[in-house]
Amino acid sequence: MPIIELKEISKIFGFGDATTLALDEIDLVIEKGEFVAIMGPSGSGKSTLMNLIGLLDRPTYGSYKLGGKDVSRLRTNQLAKIRRDRVGYVFQSFNLLPRLNVLENVALPLVYKGVGANKRIKTASALLERVGLSDREYYLPKHLSGGQTQRAAIARALVNSPDIIIADEPTGNLDSESSRVVMELLSDIHKLGNTILLVTHNPELTRYVNRVVYMHDGVIVHDENTPIGEVPKLARKALNLFQRKTEEDDLAGVSALMKAIPTKHTTKKPRAKAKKPTSRSKSMKRIKK
Amino acid sequence: MSITRNIRSAAQSLKYSKWRSLMTMTGVILGVLSVITIVSIGEGVKRQVVGQINLLGSDLISVRPGNLVTRDKNGNIVKVNQISSFAFGSGSMSDSDLETIKSSSGVKTVVPIGLVNSGVKLDDVQYNQSLVIATNDKFPAMLKQTINHGVFFDDTDSNKHVVVIGKRVAENLFAENVPIGRTLTIRGVEFVVIGVFEEFNYSPLAYGTDLNQAIAMPYAAGQELTGHNQLAQVLVRPESVDQTTAVIAAINKKMTLAHGGQNDFTVLKQDENLSVVSNILKVFTAFISGVAAMSLLIGGIGIMNIMLVSVTERTREIGIRKAIGATNRQISEQFFVEATILSSTGGAIGIGLAFVINAVLRIVTHLNPVISLEVVLISAGVSIALGIVFGVIPAVRAARKDPIEALRYE
Ligand SMILES: Nc1ncnc2c1ncn2[C@@H]1O[C@H](COP(=O)(O)OP(=O)(O)O)[C@@H](O)[C@H]1O
Ligand SMILES: [Mg+2]
Repeated sequence: MPIIELKEISKIFGFGDATTLALDEIDLVIEKGEFVAIMGPSGSGKSTLMNLIGLLDRPTYGSYKLGGKDVSRLRTNQLAKIRRDRVGYVFQSFNLLPRLNVLENVALPLVYKGVGANKRIKTASALLERVGLSDREYYLPKHLSGGQTQRAAIARALVNSPDIIIADEPTGNLDSESSRVVMELLSDIHKLGNTILLVTHNPELTRYVNRVVYMHDGVIVHDENTPIGEVPKLARKALNLFQRKTEEDDLAGVSALMKAIPTKHTTKKPRAKAKKPTSRSKSMKRIKK
Repeated sequence: MSITRNIRSAAQSLKYSKWRSLMTMTGVILGVLSVITIVSIGEGVKRQVVGQINLLGSDLISVRPGNLVTRDKNGNIVKVNQISSFAFGSGSMSDSDLETIKSSSGVKTVVPIGLVNSGVKLDDVQYNQSLVIATNDKFPAMLKQTINHGVFFDDTDSNKHVVVIGKRVAENLFAENVPIGRTLTIRGVEFVVIGVFEEFNYSPLAYGTDLNQAIAMPYAAGQELTGHNQLAQVLVRPESVDQTTAVIAAINKKMTLAHGGQNDFTVLKQDENLSVVSNILKVFTAFISGVAAMSLLIGGIGIMNIMLVSVTERTREIGIRKAIGATNRQISEQFFVEATILSSTGGAIGIGLAFVINAVLRIVTHLNPVISLEVVLISAGVSIALGIVFGVIPAVRAARKDPIEALRYE
């Protein structure tokens, strides 16, 4: 059963001359329990897509069904409640509240749900144990290492038992060892049946996922399933083609990769919203399992 | 989100910026402090006046120079003409006025209070805090005042150079409790201390005049020093209590006649002191209340301001909270509660300080201010209301922030 169904989703930012077409008629279906990596150069619309899926933002056009229910036209408060109950966010910059200790941070979503204090502490505490931070419950975020902070953030994302977890470049600020720990954690969560969307520039991380979606200029240009434990064909190409050293190399690699994909869309100029389901966009649809 | 949780979270973030929170609360603190203090002083003064009335009896009549009050046609005081003219010795009457009053019908006893404008000297030490008066032998009985040590002068002493002094004069000038037999010099003339008053608990001559600083000499002695006595006040008791009103009317009539129809004196019943004091207090209270209201208003605006700054500074926090599922309402509640906590904490501090000031005033002055439960509750209510009113705009602004833009905010 698909948990996420996007149909001809477009997102336009700005007005008049300053408009940006961040997403251009995206069609995307994600099944429950999938672990999907979203790759693509900077500015290709990955975060915009994640914000829409995570209900932090609304599409300009198109329809979005979450768990079979149309959520593309809901009001702000309803969106907040769905976010609270069904979505867990993991950010690149961690985004823990600096004044709350780790336990309070993890328990915060439950506060908004109206869960009592005892239950909140128990649940949050259990999750911190799961991410290996039991001994850091009363630390402030600033006293944690980057990897620990991100694990706390993952615990927070899990505290409401969400249907989907959205991780937008969760390892972007981490060293490789911390990245590995965080990815192992996400992988464990995935194995327990959670649906996870992961934005990353690092092709190596795709070995944890079962599907990779490639974006460019607001369009999904490629979409492939891949066995867990393997870096898929295209991503491996990037891996082999470039000696990765820094984050920038990563970006360069992904960009070069995109250009390597033999489709004409790469030269496409950003255009105003136009309703024309081209053969190109159809051809880009993911190959069903 | 529960209210207690909200309060705890708000307290946490206010504690995080303690100093700024305190600065923000200053307006509310000062407003509450000044309102409570002025009201408590007023209350204390009133209680003292009531106590004085009870002690001296409502049949004590005082005649003073100047047209001090305006009355309605029923004779009730509606206005105090000039607050300063109520000060002791601001004008004077003459010996002939004393005779006029004495000869009014129904008058039993008359006590003149002549003012001897002078400092006193003990050896070479000059003492200016004392209140030197010339009066007659009925003075203690008229004011129901006892003599602690020695005696008061009687009518045989009327032109002797003797004085009876207040407790404070004994302590401050003579540095002993019973300086009887010692002499002091007034206008170059030596006077012998023959008695020390028991402590005066009230100020029956004029509010704020401390009779514990009094030096009383026989009337004739005063006349000898000053040429003719400056009568600051004449105290009268009628033959019986129910005659009080009639005697007042008689004095008024005779005095007006003697002054050629001019109303340049005032006859007050003892229990009218309360309405005089109330009237005087009203003016002060109105003034201080105005200042306090301004202070509270500025305090409220200050709270709004700092909350707006806080909303901006915490934009990212708002974004995070929204991302993890806070509704707009839950966000606005958070800031709303914070503003209210800020203002009510200010109110609480103001109330606390008012009690401290109250204690200090009780020690260093003889005002005996009284803080009533009522004024505390009203102050608390106003403080809370202030946060509610001025918390609305920041709370709404916080709630309206777009989550994505808020998350991007640095
Ligand atoms: N709030 C916004 N206002 C205007 N333009 C935006 C906004 N958010 C994103 N964009 C634009 O949309 C495009 C996609 O951005 P984004 O989704 O952040 O890309 P990615 O996450 O893949 O780097 C970019 O051109 C970006 O400049
Ligand atoms: Mg991004």
